[in-house]
Amino acid sequence: MSPPLLPSWRALAALLVLGASAAHADSLRRFALVAGNDEGGDETRPLRFAQDDARKMHGLLARLGGVAPGDAMLLLNESSKDFLAALTQLETRAKEARARGERTALLVYYSGHAKDGTLRLGNTRLGFEDLKQRLSNAPADIRIAILDSCRSGALTRTKGARRAPAFEIESGAARDARGLVILTSSSADEDSQESDALRGSYFSHHLASGLLGDADRSGDGRVTLFEAYSHAYARTVADTAASSGGAQHPTFSYDLAGNGDLVLTDLRAGGDGLVVPGLAPAGMYYFVDPGGMVVAELDKTPDVERRVALAPGTYRVKRRLSDRLRIGEVEVSRGRQVVLEESRLRDAPFSDDPVKGAAPEGGAWWTVGVSGGVQSFFDAPTRQSLFLSVGMLGAEAQLHDYFRRDWVWGVDVAVGGKQALLALPTLSGPPYKYSVTSLGTTLTSEWPRGTVAPFVGARMAYLVMRRDFEEATYPDQKYAMFSPGLVAGLRWQPLRRLHVTGRARLHYLLYTVDEQRSLGFWELGALVTYQP
Amino acid sequence: MRHLVPICLCLALAACGGDFSNDDLEFLNAFPRREDLTASMPGKTQGEAWGARVASKSAQQAGRLGDSSGIVGDTDKTGLRFNEAVDGILSSLEAIQQYTPTKREPNRRVWGPIPGRNDMRFDTRFVMTREGERFDYQLQYRDIGEGEDAWWSFMSGSFQANGGVRKGEGSLIMDLKRAREERFLDIPFLDREEIHYQTRKLPTRVELVFVSNVPTLLPSRYIYREAEGDLAEMTFQILDTDFVQGGLREDVALTTRWAPDGRGTGILEIIKGDILGAKYTECWDAQGRVTFISRSWDFLNPTEGLRSSCPDMSALDR
Repeated sequence: MSPPLLPSWRALAALLVLGASAAHADSLRRFALVAGNDEGGDETRPLRFAQDDARKMHGLLARLGGVAPGDAMLLLNESSKDFLAALTQLETRAKEARARGERTALLVYYSGHAKDGTLRLGNTRLGFEDLKQRLSNAPADIRIAILDSCRSGALTRTKGARRAPAFEIESGAARDARGLVILTSSSADEDSQESDALRGSYFSHHLASGLLGDADRSGDGRVTLFEAYSHAYARTVADTAASSGGAQHPTFSYDLAGNGDLVLTDLRAGGDGLVVPGLAPAGMYYFVDPGGMVVAELDKTPDVERRVALAPGTYRVKRRLSDRLRIGEVEVSRGRQVVLEESRLRDAPFSDDPVKGAAPEGGAWWTVGVSGGVQSFFDAPTRQSLFLSVGMLGAEAQLHDYFRRDWVWGVDVAVGGKQALLALPTLSGPPYKYSVTSLGTTLTSEWPRGTVAPFVGARMAYLVMRRDFEEATYPDQKYAMFSPGLVAGLRWQPLRRLHVTGRARLHYLLYTVDEQRSLGFWELGALVTYQP
Repeated sequence: MRHLVPICLCLALAACGGDFSNDDLEFLNAFPRREDLTASMPGKTQGEAWGARVASKSAQQAGRLGDSSGIVGDTDKTGLRFNEAVDGILSSLEAIQQYTPTKREPNRRVWGPIPGRNDMRFDTRFVMTREGERFDYQLQYRDIGEGEDAWWSFMSGSFQANGGVRKGEGSLIMDLKRAREERFLDIPFLDREEIHYQTRKLPTRVELVFVSNVPTLLPSRYIYREAEGDLAEMTFQILDTDFVQGGLREDVALTTRWAPDGRGTGILEIIKGDILGAKYTECWDAQGRVTFISRSWDFLNPTEGLRSSCPDMSALDR
C-alpha cells in the first residue's frame, strides 16, 4: 500500500523558500493544546507512552516553539469534555489576540487511542469530524492538528482536506498562510505503534527529534512544519517497516489559503543546545538522557554543521559504527551552546550501549536490591510494650513495566529485632528478644521525571512478630498476621543500572490475641537496587 | 483450579494469629514461684556430712556445749515436710503454666475445660481473673458433662502483684473437705491446706497452715522467712515431746534461725507440759556444734558458753 502522502521534494523545496521568510512565522501568537491519554476505554489496551509523548511535546513547544507558558495547556488522561473546554479557552484567547491585530496559530496535539472515527479519551469520545469542524471554525489564522493515534489518517481523508503532495505552492507569493493543517501518525487503516526502546510512539519520537534539530535540513536553525513532517514520515516508515505491526505511514493534509510554511521550532530560541561541527564524522548520533531514553537523534552528513536544541542537562552521546560504538558524555549548560568534540568520544562495544535495551515481552525489566529502614507503631503503649519500634534490613526484587508501563511489582523480605526489657503494669524487668519478619508484595505506579520517579502504591505484608524470653519461666510468644498498606516514595537513578529509592509505608494490622484491636504502623526506608 | 482460591485463603487464615500477649504474661506472673515458697534448710546448705550428723539428733532434750545441736535436725526434718507440702500444691499450678489459655477475655483467662476421660470422673478447668493488681484463680472440677453451675473449686488462690517479677502477696488454699464431699480425694482429718506468702519485700514470709477437723492431731502452722544475706527462719511446733524431766510430756514452739555459713540460733518455748512458759535458747557454730545455751528455768546456771558466739540475725527482726 502506498502512503497517503509521499513527500514531494519539489513542493518541499518551494516551501523551504517560503519558510525562509520566517519573520511572518515569528510574529505569530501561538497557542497550543497538548493532550495525552493512555486509556482508550472499552476494547482498547492501555497505551504505555501517550502521556509521556504529550509531556515531551508540551515541553518542546514551550521551550522552542514560541508558545508562551500561559498559552500552552497540557491535558493528561482527561475526558473529551475537558479537552473541548480547554480548546474553548484557547480559542477565546486567540480571538482576543486577533481582535488586537495579532496573527495567531493554534496547535492541537493529541496522543492516544482512536477508533471508529473518534478519538478515545478514556471512556469518552470525540469524533474526527467534530474535531475537524471545530478546528476549521477556530478563530486562529493557522490551525494545526497533530494526531498520534491509530487510524488517525481517516481525518485527513475527510471532506475538505487536500493531501500533499497536491500541496500547491504559489512561489513567490507574499500572502500569509491561513487555514487548517492536519498531521496524523498513521493512515486510515493502520495502527500507530509505540516503541519500548524509544519509550514513546515512533511518530511522536521522530517528530520531537526532528523539531530538536534533526529535521533542519536547510541548516538555518529553524524547523518548519513541513520539514518536521517529512522527517517524521521518513523515520517512522523506516523504523516500523520491519515491525510486527507493519509499516506505519503518517499523513499530512492542509486546507490553506495563501502560502508560506510555518516555523515550528527555533533551535536558537533557548540559547542553549549542542552543535555538531561540520568536521565531525558523518553518521547517526543518538543523545541519551540519564534514564537511558533517546531524547534526540541526528543524521549527520559530511562537512555540514548541525545543531540539536537539547535542554540543559547531561547526555550520553552514541554514534553507531559497523563494528563498535563511539560513546561519550556531554553537558549542556543553560544559555550556552556546547560543541561536541569527537575527541571526547571513546570506542565501546555494543554491550555498553547507553540506550536501555527494550526487554522482550513488552519491555519489562527487573531489579534486585537491599533495603534498610525503621518500623514503628503509631500507638505509644503498643510500640513501648507490645510491638516495639525496630530497625529492619531486607532484600527486594522488583519487576518493572510488566503489567503495565510504569507499574512496578515487588516482593520483599525484611527482618528486624532488638533486645528489650518487659515493662508491663504488674510485670517489669524480664529481658527478651523482640523480632519481626516481614514478607511483602507491592504494586506501585510511577511517574518518571528524568532520573527521578515518584510513586505510590499498595502493599500486602505478612508479619511475624516474636518475643523470646531469656528466662524459661516465661513462654516465647508469636503473632502472625496479614497487613495491608500504602506506600509512596521516590526512585532516583543516579547511574545506568543503579536505583536508589526512599519510601514511606503506612500499614494496618489487626491484633486479635488479648482483644481485637486495629493498629497502624509506619515504615521509613531506603532501597538500593541493581538492574541486571 | 476453582478450589485454589478458597484453599489459599484458608491457608492464609490458618497462618494468622498467635499467643503474643502482654496480659498472658501478667497472668503468668501471678503464679507463685517454687523457689519463693520452698524453704532453704540449714542441712541443705552445709553439705551431706554435716547434714547427716545433725539429722540424727533431735530436740528431745536440752543440748550440751560442744555437742551437735538437736534443733538443727528438727528444723531440717520439718523443712523437708514443709517443702513436700508446698510441692504438692504447686505441682498442679506449674502444669497449667505450660499451656496457653484456651479462652482469653478482658481480665479473665480460662484453661480448659479438659474433659474427663477413662478413669477420670471429672472435667477440669483453671480460671484466672484480674482486677487491677489483684489476681484470683481457681482450679475447678465438675462431674463429666455437667453444666456451668456444677464447677466447684478445689484450689483457690490470689496474688497481689505489687512487687515486680512474680513478687507480691498471695495465698493458695486447697479445699480438702469439699474434695472429700465430692469424692474427688479422700484425705481424712484435714479440711484445708493453706499457703500464705509475702515476697514483695524482705524478709519474705511463707506460712503453711493445716486446718484439721481434729485440732490436736498435728501442728497447724509453719512459718518460713528469709531476710538479707540469705538469713532464714523457720517457726513451727513439736508436739508431745519429753523435753524436760517431769510427769508431763511437752508441746514446744520452736523458732530456728540460720545463716548461709551454717551458724544459727534456736529458741524453744514450752507451750504445754511440765514447765509451761519456760524458754530455751541455743546457738551453734558452722559445724553445728552448740556454742551457747540459755535456760530460763535454771536459776543457778542459766547460761553456758559465750552469747557473743551467736550470729547476728537482726535482719529477721524487721
